[in-house]
Amino acid sequence: MNARATTPIVSIDDVGVHFPVSRGRTLKAVDGVSLDVMPRETFGIIGESGSGKTTLGRAVVCLEKPSAGRILHAGIDPYGLSSRELRRHRRGYQVIFQDPNAALDPRMTILKSIREPMDVAGELTVPERHNRAIEMMERVGLSPDFASRYPHELSGGQKQRVCIARVLTLRPELIVCDEAVSALDVSIQADILNLFAELQAEFGLTYIFITHNLGVVAHVSDRIAVMYLGRIVEIGRAEDVVGTPGHPYTEALLSAEPVALPAHLRGQNRVMLQGELPSPIAPPSGCRFRTRCRFVQPICAQTEPPWRETTPGHASACHFAGELPMMSGAELHPLKAGQPGRTVETGL
Amino acid sequence: MADMTSPVPSAPLLDVRDLGIAFRSGAGMVQVTRDVTFAIAPGETVGLVGESGCGKTVTGLALMGLLPSATSHITGSVQLEGENLIGMPARQLQRRRGAKISMIFQEPMSALDPVFTIGQQISETLRAHRSVSAKEARERGIEALARVGIPEPALRFDAYPHQLSGGMRQRAMIAIAIVCEPRLLIADEPTTALDVTVQAQIVDVLGDLCARLGMAMLFITHDLGLVAQTCSRLVTMYAGEVIEQGRIDDMLVRPRHPYTSGLLRSLPALAARKTKLPAIPGRVPMRGEMPDGCRFRPRCDFALPPCEAPQPLDPVPPVGQVRCCRNDELELKGVLS
Repeated sequence: MNARATTPIVSIDDVGVHFPVSRGRTLKAVDGVSLDVMPRETFGIIGESGSGKTTLGRAVVCLEKPSAGRILHAGIDPYGLSSRELRRHRRGYQVIFQDPNAALDPRMTILKSIREPMDVAGELTVPERHNRAIEMMERVGLSPDFASRYPHELSGGQKQRVCIARVLTLRPELIVCDEAVSALDVSIQADILNLFAELQAEFGLTYIFITHNLGVVAHVSDRIAVMYLGRIVEIGRAEDVVGTPGHPYTEALLSAEPVALPAHLRGQNRVMLQGELPSPIAPPSGCRFRTRCRFVQPICAQTEPPWRETTPGHASACHFAGELPMMSGAELHPLKAGQPGRTVETGL
Repeated sequence: MADMTSPVPSAPLLDVRDLGIAFRSGAGMVQVTRDVTFAIAPGETVGLVGESGCGKTVTGLALMGLLPSATSHITGSVQLEGENLIGMPARQLQRRRGAKISMIFQEPMSALDPVFTIGQQISETLRAHRSVSAKEARERGIEALARVGIPEPALRFDAYPHQLSGGMRQRAMIAIAIVCEPRLLIADEPTTALDVTVQAQIVDVLGDLCARLGMAMLFITHDLGLVAQTCSRLVTMYAGEVIEQGRIDDMLVRPRHPYTSGLLRSLPALAARKTKLPAIPGRVPMRGEMPDGCRFRPRCDFALPPCEAPQPLDPVPPVGQVRCCRNDELELKGVLS
């Protein structure tokens, strides 16, 4: 048990996921990503469209085979297993998607949808499966009355609870939540986030929480990785990444997040990212963020930035991490009045 | 309620009173919104928030006269610069839409026509409302594209929608909406489909346009952070009714309706990390099963027997209004408490 606590539940080592596109070119959706997720941790991955966060999440649960590098599950290489062993093994590594409408079969009752993973696994007797399905429904806050209903009779939040119940039936160790609360209204979103936290305490779950919503990721995560164009640009404890960003892209993300505070308490400091995301098929040389970075230097186009650790466990892939006059989280969103504002435009 | 004092001191640009929208459904009519009353002053930016199904979007569509008359029944009045748009003949309404009042939507790809260039779509609006030559239309179209921050506007004028990124498409749609310099822009979740950094750019463009053209904006969204950043006033809708309105900075700190307070408190960005978020129990009631009296009552922590009676919109000095009979006695939590 002791050794387990120090073995990462997911170990991603220099992983790339490449897709062939037309004319022999390759889209490197994920390129050279390494990170470890520890048991019972909530690991947040944040990035915008095209950053590769969803592809990385899919690779973790074996829905996408890495084209380079490898992913270990608690020290085991899932692709080293026989297909029979892999089927059994991957039950422990589940995923919940953004749109519960697409995840649930409209012609199956709620009970049948929740039972389906156990039916496929075929390990329990039929009454045991039924009982566990009902038990999980109750656990996620759905009345057993819903058992005979169909997805269209449920609200978005209730459908997402069904999706959570059905992955729990297999007693997973890790759940990848890919934008699992993004389609929900804020009050429902709060409910589901609370549920995730309770389930984690109760079942000892590990989460990889993938989202574009900084507020959500900062609230739930122990550690956060920031992705840009297929690469991780910053990684660290949630409070460090949000409090003292080390990478200029993280600074821009923090600044772009609209915060519901009155004008006099809102930071007047802003970093406006200019321009568009470069094509992931032909990413910029050197640092991929350099075309939009407000601190860009000649070296950024020439060499790929190495990892620089600014404080223990907090590292950024930037040539100048820790040396740049970047705005802190408190400066971008201060709760104090009377700070002079500055707006910086970048990447013109 | 008709004699209620307007919350906006100067003559309003838009004055919506007792707007009720009902849709034909099977044999009967289903009331979707009722008694929606608010006003927008010239150049003012007002946020309209609420969860899905609260009636925000249908209200926006009704203001534009875009609801199908065969299946919808609209009551009340919508005065734009003193003219009632409700019941206005289609031809007259057509002359105001796009010229005085414009709307942009969440999904620019479905709002733009894929077989026409951006330029053709801008010119179409311009030539429908202004007598301009093709050459002039092109010049003014390019100018509008430049105004919304599209790089190389002369090139983009001849591009098709699929050749632009999501953020650029949304800019193009804004350009079409503002080319005739309308007095009011209705923006229905204009940034929901966009990434946060692109959202920040679009919000910047919208704020800049309002300031430069003196244009008023009704910003429909579920994101209270965005409203805080873009609007000076906030209108909260719940289950088809306006339940609170006031100055945004007052409402963020001291909401008067338990629903507004609940929305603010459930925001994860403002809660301490890893703490339990105060969620609002239950869900928005379905149309046709609306509770009597206060519609929020079944989900409200503060409900008492008087809440079973219909709730009027009470004034909240200096400029606010709230539909809650307990608003005086409750000390509701806002974003700072």
